[in-house]
Amino acid sequence: MICVRPPPRSIFRLNLCFAIFPRRFLLTVAACCPKQGELGEKPRGIWAPIAASLDLHRGPFEFWIVDLTAKRRIGLGILYSLSGNYYLISKACRAGALSAIAAINADPGCDLEFVSVERDPQGNVDLYGPLCEEILRDSGANHVVGCVTSWSRKEVIPTLEKHGGSLWYAVPYEGFEASDHIVYTHACPNQHLLPLLNWAMPKFGSRGFLTGSNYIWGWEINRLARDRVTLAGGEVLGERYLPIGSRDIDRVIEEIRLARPDFVLNSLIGPSSYAFMSAYCELGLSDRHFRPERCPILSCNLTECELPTFGAAAEGLIAAGPYFRGIPGWPRRQRDFGSSHEAAAFTSVMELARLLAHRPGAEQLSLAKLLAECSGSGGIIDLETHHTVLPVIIAQVRGGVFQPLKRLEGVAGDPYLTRGRNFPTSPLLRVVS
Amino acid sequence: MKRSMRIQNLGGARALILHRPHPTVAALTRQLSAIGLEVVQAWPEVGAEALAMDFVFFDADMGHDEMFPWPVRQPPMPMIALIGSEAPGRIEWALRAGAHAQLLKPVGNSGAFSALLIARDAFDAHRALFAEIADLRRRLDERQTVVRAVTMLAVRGKTEAEAYAQLRQMAMAWRISFEDAAGRIVGGSGDEEGGGGKRIRG
Repeated sequence: MICVRPPPRSIFRLNLCFAIFPRRFLLTVAACCPKQGELGEKPRGIWAPIAASLDLHRGPFEFWIVDLTAKRRIGLGILYSLSGNYYLISKACRAGALSAIAAINADPGCDLEFVSVERDPQGNVDLYGPLCEEILRDSGANHVVGCVTSWSRKEVIPTLEKHGGSLWYAVPYEGFEASDHIVYTHACPNQHLLPLLNWAMPKFGSRGFLTGSNYIWGWEINRLARDRVTLAGGEVLGERYLPIGSRDIDRVIEEIRLARPDFVLNSLIGPSSYAFMSAYCELGLSDRHFRPERCPILSCNLTECELPTFGAAAEGLIAAGPYFRGIPGWPRRQRDFGSSHEAAAFTSVMELARLLAHRPGAEQLSLAKLLAECSGSGGIIDLETHHTVLPVIIAQVRGGVFQPLKRLEGVAGDPYLTRGRNFPTSPLLRVVS
Repeated sequence: MKRSMRIQNLGGARALILHRPHPTVAALTRQLSAIGLEVVQAWPEVGAEALAMDFVFFDADMGHDEMFPWPVRQPPMPMIALIGSEAPGRIEWALRAGAHAQLLKPVGNSGAFSALLIARDAFDAHRALFAEIADLRRRLDERQTVVRAVTMLAVRGKTEAEAYAQLRQMAMAWRISFEDAAGRIVGGSGDEEGGGGKRIRG
């Protein structure tokens, strides 16, 4: 039925409302200044001719007929690749988003009905920008849940800025970003890498070997890891990258065998990671040094959604994340999520619904405005950084299941690693002659 | 070993935006706050409190020399020009004001982080270079003192090369610069120096 936006605050609204039908319709009469452009939507559908015949639009009053039970249909973009190198993560995120949409649509207490507008970039980074544009331009959706790689996220930022759209990003990433158009609902380095290294180095030693896929996630995670290892007095024995999709891991494995590090940080993605884990597992069979109890593989991006692909090769893997299957505490709405990817995408859609619910027209607001107007309403998103507070769980694969080893509560996302650190007011070094 | 970029210590740094109230200031403030900086805005001029800032963003379009409480070309912190009009005269002025990096207006959603890091790196490099130049200049000025010191040492029966080597050893033993050691000898203070320093007599 007719869902009309209440007049903006600049217009003086009379508190003259009366019920036409108990509990269902309200006819609201609002006194207004005669700026027609500010009045929002006019009665539509079958109510338009009635309103027109009553000549309700003229004069100093506006009449609004509101269906109190109708759900507002709001487009929500879904931009995940269902094929390509990282489709397992995409599918996990997509499952989380769709289950949240289903939950919202079935909730009689929520006046929203999300209509998913789905596009599949098929793992092709060049398709993310155009498909995101298609969603924002053609469907009228203003919010998109999507992107897995940081590369694809950076590809859609210009499109989001151009159309005033917002992206809800539900994957761990390397930090150093706080876009006004993006909400980051998974972990950044102070919520995965740094606690993981802080925990692992005293336990296994601080001589590390760093691997990664040859794009921004691998580069930045390894740069940070190198900084932290060096700061802790440790040593980086090697740093190797593979093109996304490459299975050519023999040389990396050989270098690790010769370097004999205390741990290996695996920031590879997709098939490279599968090949690497399997080869490393074999290396452990021939040389005890490379077994998990002596030289484990650490990861900030591996979750249950990829475990079946690894099979037994994942045994002993140590990963950090905000959620592992069956561990309670996060998200607030408890469910048996398949992985943290699924949980973060679910949380994204639920938080968006919370921000839009019972606020007709809010779906057209920019993210900054939406968050500013809802500040103080118990939201999960930090207004300055657009990151969230998450637990940090360090867990090891044992018997095919992640078992928690360490847990930190309530770690706020700090994308630039500046919170709680003091800027040095004097230089660390001085010139001596 | 790779040189560290010191990226992780911007937290709590203070940035001054010298620009009239404008959406650009709001956008830049939003970016800087997200990065973790404290932001102060001022226009058209700023007092001595600017000296306590760690970064200064200044309007290159409307700016003038008198707006800075320090001598032209000698900013005591990294400076980032906010450039709207790319008129040559304005760019020239921004460079003269000491810009280490720039951001083009209108400032949108990004750019501040790289401008901060580039400006800080350029500022540090300038400062190190100026310190080195000042040191070299001072040492050049001391050439005459060195010649006199070597001559004084050579008078005692050493060759010029031996006297020069002795002066170098003295500087090392006293842990001061070559020129300072020469100054001590010329000023006669080398006689009082003990603690491993070689005596010039005997």
